[in-house]
Amino acid sequence: MKHKPYLPYLLALPALAVLVAILYPFITGGWWSFTRYRLNLGAPKFNFGHNYLTLFTSGEGLHAIFITLLYAAVVTVVECVLGIALAMLLNYGRYGSVFRLLIVLPMLLPPVIAALMWKVMLTENGVVNWLLQAAGGHKLLWLSGADTALWSVMLIDVWIFTPFVVLLAQAGLKSVPKELYEAAAVDGAGPIRNFISVTLPMLTPILVVIITFRGIDSLKMFDIIYTTTKGGPVDATTNLHVLAYLEGIRNLNFGTAMAALIVLWLLCYLISYFLLKARRKEALA
Amino acid sequence: MTSSIDAAARTRSPRVQGGGQSKQGHITLVARRRRKKGVKHAVVITLLSLWTIFALAPIVWIAMMSLKRPGDIVSYPPKFLFSPTLMNYARVFGSAEFLTPFLNSIIVTLGALALTLVIGLPAAYALGRFSFKGRESIAFTILSLRFAPELLIILPLYLIFQKAGLNDTYIGLIIAYQLVTLPMLVWMLRSFIEDLPVELEEAVAVDGGSRWTAFRHVLFPLILPGLGASLMLSFIWAWNSYVLPLVLSGRNTQVITTGIQQYISYQSIDWGPMAAATVVSILPGVLFAIFSLRWIVGGLTAGTVKG
Repeated sequence: MKHKPYLPYLLALPALAVLVAILYPFITGGWWSFTRYRLNLGAPKFNFGHNYLTLFTSGEGLHAIFITLLYAAVVTVVECVLGIALAMLLNYGRYGSVFRLLIVLPMLLPPVIAALMWKVMLTENGVVNWLLQAAGGHKLLWLSGADTALWSVMLIDVWIFTPFVVLLAQAGLKSVPKELYEAAAVDGAGPIRNFISVTLPMLTPILVVIITFRGIDSLKMFDIIYTTTKGGPVDATTNLHVLAYLEGIRNLNFGTAMAALIVLWLLCYLISYFLLKARRKEALA
Repeated sequence: MTSSIDAAARTRSPRVQGGGQSKQGHITLVARRRRKKGVKHAVVITLLSLWTIFALAPIVWIAMMSLKRPGDIVSYPPKFLFSPTLMNYARVFGSAEFLTPFLNSIIVTLGALALTLVIGLPAAYALGRFSFKGRESIAFTILSLRFAPELLIILPLYLIFQKAGLNDTYIGLIIAYQLVTLPMLVWMLRSFIEDLPVELEEAVAVDGGSRWTAFRHVLFPLILPGLGASLMLSFIWAWNSYVLPLVLSGRNTQVITTGIQQYISYQSIDWGPMAAATVVSILPGVLFAIFSLRWIVGGLTAGTVKG
């Protein structure tokens, strides 16, 4: 069909306008990351990447980077393993659709509210500690303990977002042709061999999507952490996103906050770039 | 399928393969296989049930809490049996501190969705149906917004809005929410449009119809399910969003996710109304999604899984 050359641009114009409206603060913020900019001390002043240097040399900055990476890695791996396992179990029997609806529920709550629910249950005299004691264990501090806070937050993340992996993995499993398993059975493949040689390769395209979504969303996790621990106790759960909020909104130190966000953005950008590349290759193949 | 696997197993099994195959031996083999299958089913169901309990327990617990009297809530060991009351719900629906954020959430979310639809649909159409210079860069830039840390845009936006007087206004929030809703809508719709053959619209052109006619009568009805899925997902994401309103909304535009936090700090020991507020605020998303789970999966996997 013929069309005027400007038509596509005209149609995309409103979206482009929004894009510019969003890119403007992004670029402004990028500039601030290279300045000393405290709201109470007046206009931004260029300081030669001092903010980045501090981020990568101070204990606080390095700790936040470490927490960010640890959180994302643990949560993504655990959710992928559990999610794929559950999806396979759901596809095994005939009761899948009933279980699926129930299993997916946590994902449909606002993460903030889900996190609050857990916060209520994980208090010192909460129901989880009671269960622990009933099972013969000791009470734990959970979210308020320096050693346990990060793992508690991860637990909440796994509770909320494993269903996301289940949904996508299930869709992926359905697209695996049954003939492949029959062929593998003829070749004498057992269940483990089946998984490694048939299921996993066929799942790769959807796995790329899953890892990208979960990887990026857990790198920039803010909601669960901020509602349950506000980054504490002390800085036990302060990742880059929370650090940026505390620096920017609480300390009004926009220069440092933006530097942390740019570093975090680069991490996320790398992963999304990887996704699009893998996806395009998939489309060509 | 089962029969072919059976056949495969039979050819491999030495007992069956050997010439002297007794009928009885075959029957025990079948019985054993059937029993093994029964055990397998039991294991699968047990594992699924365990996870389901883990997934549902917190929700059930909070729902129970919302029906308890203050004395029952703080008791230790926790009470599983209690005389239920609706007083917490009465408190929640009687307080402006909860109702105002709830209404604000509806206004902002629906406003953001409407704006996204008006902006996103033409853009998705352009990206899906035309090949033009800069197409892939535009598509990638739009999608990458979904993957940027929210504060990266919102911290600077906060100061810009402050100068423009847009902090703590519906308009400001609706504009900012585009960050959450627009990228995914454009991306998913584009996939849906690309999946449809162009020939459908070309047929309309052959019959003398305009591009607009082709879009309205052919393409639009076909992408409607996809559009529904994308809107549904955008609704959930916008409704659940927390960082944006945390920074950009104030006293007048408090939404549910930030409002419920306030609610807790106001009444730090009053768990009952908080639990009731939690139950009420998760309902819209849950109801919305239960009826559209299949669409949601379709939206997320757009362009990835064929068939």
